[in-house]
Parts: sequence; structure tokens; C-alpha cells
Amino acid sequence: MMNWSVLGEKQPVATKMLQNSIQKNRIAHAYLFHGPRGTGKREASLLFAMRYFCERPQENEEPCGECVACKRIQSGNHPDVHWIKPDGQSIKKEQIEFLQKEFTYSSFESDSKIYIVEKADKMTVNAANRLLKFLEEPSRRTLAILLTEQVDALLDTILSRCQRIHFYPLAQEAYLKQLREEGLSEANARLASALQFDLTEAKELQSDEWFANSRKIVVQLMDRIVQSNEESYIYFHQTWMQHFDGRVQHEKGLDLLLVWLKDLVYLHLDEKEQLVFIDQLDRLEQQQAHLPLQRIKAAIYEVLQTKRRLAMNVHPTLAMEQLILKMER
Amino acid sequence: MKLIIERNQLMNSIQHVMKAISSRPTIAILSGIKLEAQQNFVKLTGSDSDITIESTIPREEDGMINIHDVQPGTVILQAKFVSEIVRKLPGDQVEIESDDELNVTIRSAAAEFKLNGQDAEEYPQPAILTTDNQFEIQADVLKNLIRQTNFAVSTQETRPILTGVHFILEDGVFELVATDSHRLASRKINLNSDAESVSFRNIVVPGKSLSELNKILDDHQEKVFVSVSDNQILFKTANVNFHSRLLDGNYPETSRLIPEQSKTTVSIKSRELMQTIDRASLLAQDNRNNIVKLATMPNQLQITSHSPEIGTAEEKVDTMSIEGEDLKISFNAKYMIDALRAIDSEEIEIAFTGAMRPFILRPQNEEESILQLITPVRTY
Repeated sequence: MMNWSVLGEKQPVATKMLQNSIQKNRIAHAYLFHGPRGTGKREASLLFAMRYFCERPQENEEPCGECVACKRIQSGNHPDVHWIKPDGQSIKKEQIEFLQKEFTYSSFESDSKIYIVEKADKMTVNAANRLLKFLEEPSRRTLAILLTEQVDALLDTILSRCQRIHFYPLAQEAYLKQLREEGLSEANARLASALQFDLTEAKELQSDEWFANSRKIVVQLMDRIVQSNEESYIYFHQTWMQHFDGRVQHEKGLDLLLVWLKDLVYLHLDEKEQLVFIDQLDRLEQQQAHLPLQRIKAAIYEVLQTKRRLAMNVHPTLAMEQLILKMER
Repeated sequence: MKLIIERNQLMNSIQHVMKAISSRPTIAILSGIKLEAQQNFVKLTGSDSDITIESTIPREEDGMINIHDVQPGTVILQAKFVSEIVRKLPGDQVEIESDDELNVTIRSAAAEFKLNGQDAEEYPQPAILTTDNQFEIQADVLKNLIRQTNFAVSTQETRPILTGVHFILEDGVFELVATDSHRLASRKINLNSDAESVSFRNIVVPGKSLSELNKILDDHQEKVFVSVSDNQILFKTANVNFHSRLLDGNYPETSRLIPEQSKTTVSIKSRELMQTIDRASLLAQDNRNNIVKLATMPNQLQITSHSPEIGTAEEKVDTMSIEGEDLKISFNAKYMIDALRAIDSEEIEIAFTGAMRPFILRPQNEEESILQLITPVRTY
């Protein structure tokens, strides 16, 4: 089971802040947990909720994990803990309406309520404004925890009403070591850590054929872009489009592309120990010879733009075509 | 857990608790019925987290044995399936058995069902309400109280607290108030002396819960025990417990809204007035507020309505007496009809304080126990 001391190894600052606020009985009415994926935001909110309702809290503000309240929070059946997750692409108006209704009622079992909004940046402006009303006038027995990876996508008015707790990206070296101990190959371990996979995802990576292929395709696409004999556009349609299907998969492909481009930058800066694709060193060096730093920077910028476009529902084929054409230039 | 139970009794209880179970539960476990078997009774619980209904089947009732063979235990069963299964079972008795792995077997005559149960620990545990904050009231009286006030609650969520009925108990007087800020319904009754030790204010029960409660209560003189805590109210009858969550917040002070003096007082037969207004509103339904106009004449009231595109209606209705100033006033016909229906008395008294001030309706004979207030509409 998760507890504060395990989480504390990953997130010493955040854990200490949360523990202290419980200990000193100074729990804020709203928290915003922000930080990249895989940094333990969800675990922290779960622990916090468990500790809040736990019937037999232990030392160091640990929840017992065994009482009826803790068990039900873990299984998602506690009537006074409400999890809101994006329903598809965004958090829908109805979900916030449900919350609004819930605010006007007294709590069910205990005398307090917690609501946790995952991916709070996925709230539409409308939904966020509805929620705002309750962040502005907190009832004394309600606690809100918002989780997000993109803190800048939230409304300023929401940010200013929450206590922000930053979950820092994991310490690279320690995480790499852990991955190696789990039996991942050096290349995969570096890739998993660069893509901020958590431990389970990283382990799956080892045997994921789709992912291995994606990796290959990204490298080959870059080869063709560098050679600039205009084959890349055809390659993209023949291979990339066959392999990557749907927005989520395209995004994964772009993430890989970004890591590759980052490696090229490291080569230019002569920082070989930072490389992720160490097994592809020859290829990287070959490409580096053709690509000046300026062009790599431009390419990185284009990839980020494309990611943004995909998130805004631009047709994946069109967005990707544009990216290829721009990178070729 | 193991028990053998009469099918009819079980079906009856299931139907009671099914009223609380939502087809789209907010948490997964609430799609189930909790079945608790004890030596002397079997208790079923259903909930949608707003309301919780518990139905108890006693081992023995009126000389009839309902429950035959019990090994105590508790299990959660999928409500949707268990209700259909029990309804269609062939035999008169049902045997329910669950093992340590929560596999539940339901047998009746030659039919056998195996269901996956869930752990009872996962089920919400409503706060236990203490009995010292409890008073009793007859079921038919309570139903009437709810009927006379609950219609006036607000249906808009802009002021959530107004979607509930305000319960007040002080010095043995039990009062219910509901308002949507256009009209107000209030009803007071004296409880017997036991209730004098109990008192509360600012208990606001959601209107939706009360409508459900009204469907469950029987129309006879059974006793209902009501107890109240900070976040729950419990209505307890012989075999059914009805819990509801309360609305959080402060109910606005309503006593100031009721005018103390009146300038015009009209006594009139309730049924005749209601029918007249109903007829007049036929032509008023098209305009948005369903407005009818009322004007005093010597010993008569003139009720008119008009809709520019359709036409006009006019009718005079005899009164028993009119005292005070002449008056012309407009109001929403639906509010008037709701109020007259709620009062349910042959003769009523209407007290006006001018065309722009709210007016109140009361039955003529019993003073102050029921009061309906309506705000007029500005028309010219």
C-alpha cells in the first residue's frame, strides 16, 4: 500500500507540506497539485483523503489503510469523497452540475466532504467558472483537491484560490537506477525516464511491440527528413499513417520525435552522457552533421506546435503533413 | 449468512427500498441492496446517497412467521437483478445463502440463481441518530403537512436552499415553511406534550426527498417518529426508516415577509373562487406569467384575464363579505390555484395590503395554522 514515507522519497517537499498541514490542523479549503505525469499527484490526493477520513490515523499522519473509511476510499465507494475525471476529452458541464448539487447537500456520513478533480485543466471555461463559485465561498467542511499537469491552462481566478503544491519531476538518476534494477535495458530505461513513464508503464515498454515499431519509424522518418530528397512525405503516408492511429497515438509518436530532436541538441552541445537513444549513436551523429542547431530548434518548435494543434482537434493527417513539410525545409 | 423468508414479504420490502435506488448511482456500491439478516429480523437498505430507505421484515408479525431459518450475516446484492429475480421466482418461500467468498445463492422451489455479492463493509453507513432528539407525529398528519407546503419549493438551482422545506420545532409547535420567493406556504401544528423537550431550527429538508417520503407513507394513523441531526433527518415508521440528507446553508428569515395588517379583507367560498380563476386562466396561459386580474366590487369579486391575440375573459363571483378599501390586483393564477388547493377549506379569507404588496390566504375557521402568501404581478 502507498503511504507518506514511500511518497516522501519521490516528493519530499510536497509530502512534507501536506503532512505538516494535517499535523498543525491547518488544512486549506482547496489544494492544487501540479506537476508532470507520473509524479504521484493521484497517490497524494488518495492518501490525503484517506487520512482525512481515517478512523485510526497512525503516526506521521499516515492513514491506517485498514479501517472501513480507508478501504472504501481506495475502492471508490466512500459517499463523501467525490472523484471527477474527464469524461472523454473534457470535464463536462453535467459533472460540475453534479458537484454543484452535492455542495448544497449536507455530507452523508461524516461531517465533511472531499472532492477531487483529476486533470482539472480539462474543464471547459464554463465548467471552471461554475466551480469557481465554490472555491470563492468555501463551506467550512468541504475540501477541494485539483490535479493538473498543465498548471498554466487553468484560469487565473482558480489558481489564486488554491494552495498550490508542486510535484517535481522525478530525480532522473535515481529513477534510472530503479528502472535498471527492474531489468530494463539501458536504452529503454532512458527512454522511459525521458517520456516520464511511471514504473508500471516502463515495465510494459520492455515487451511492447507497437512501441518498438514506433521508435523505429520515428528514426527512419528523421533519416528521410535529413536526406531531404522529399521521400519523407511519402514515407509518412506509407508507414507513419499505417502505424499511428488516432490522436493519442500520434501524440506518442511526436513525443518520441521530440526526444530524438533533443538528443541532436545534446550532440551539438557535446553532452553525450545525456543522450536517450544511445544505441543509435551512429545515426544521431550522421544526422547532426546535416542539421545545424538552428534547424533543430525550429523543428522542436514545430513539433510542439503540432502537439498543440492536435489537442485542439485539428485533423491528425493535416497537422502531421504540415509538420513534415515544415521540417523538410 | 443463510435465511428462508416468505417471498411476498421480501418482495414488498424490495419494492420499498428500490424507490431510493438510482439507475445511475454516483458511487458503484449504491447500485446494490444491502441485505442484513439477524435472528429477529431481516433488514434491506437502498440508497442514492440523497435518501436512504431501510425496510425491516420482523421474524413474526400478526401471528405469521415471515422468516424461518436464519444464520446472521450481511451482503450487498445487485438491486436491478435481485428485484426481478425475486418477483419471478416460482415458490412462496425464498432461500438466500451467501458463503465467505460472497457468492450468493437464491433458491425457490426448483429455481436456483447464483449471484456475485459485494462486501457489506463497502456500503455507506448512515449516521446513527439518537432517540432523545425525537418526536412523534401521525403519518396522515405528516403527509398533509408535506402536501400543503412542498409544492411551493423552488425548482431553480439559483438559490439552492429554497429547494427545500424549512422545518422548525419550538415549544411543541411544529412549523413547515416553503417558498420560491414568489409565493410562500406555511403550516403549523401543535404536537403533543412529549415534543416540548425537542426543538430545532434551520433544518432544511430537500423537496425531492419529501415527495419520495410522501409516496412511501401510508394514509392511515400510523405513528411516525422524526429525529434530526446536523446532517440527516430520519422518519421512522414501524417497518420502514427513511433517511434524507439536509440542505446546507441558512434558510432566509420568512416571518418578516408576512404582512401583519390588511387594508382589504375578503371572505369567500374557496371552491367557487378556484373554479372561477381556473376558467379565467384558460385565456391567460399564453402570456408568460399566467396572469389574472382581480377587482373588488360591492359584495362581488371581478376576475378578468386577457391575452392580446386571443381575447378576454370576465367573471363575477359572489363573496360573503368585503371589508376595507377598493382594490385592483394582478397575480399568477397557478399560484392562486395551488394555494387554494393546499388550504382545502370550504371558506377562506384573503387579506390584501394594496396592489403592490403580497397578500395572504387563510382558512376562515382555524386561524393561523395554515397560511399561503402570494406576491402580485405589476401590470399597469
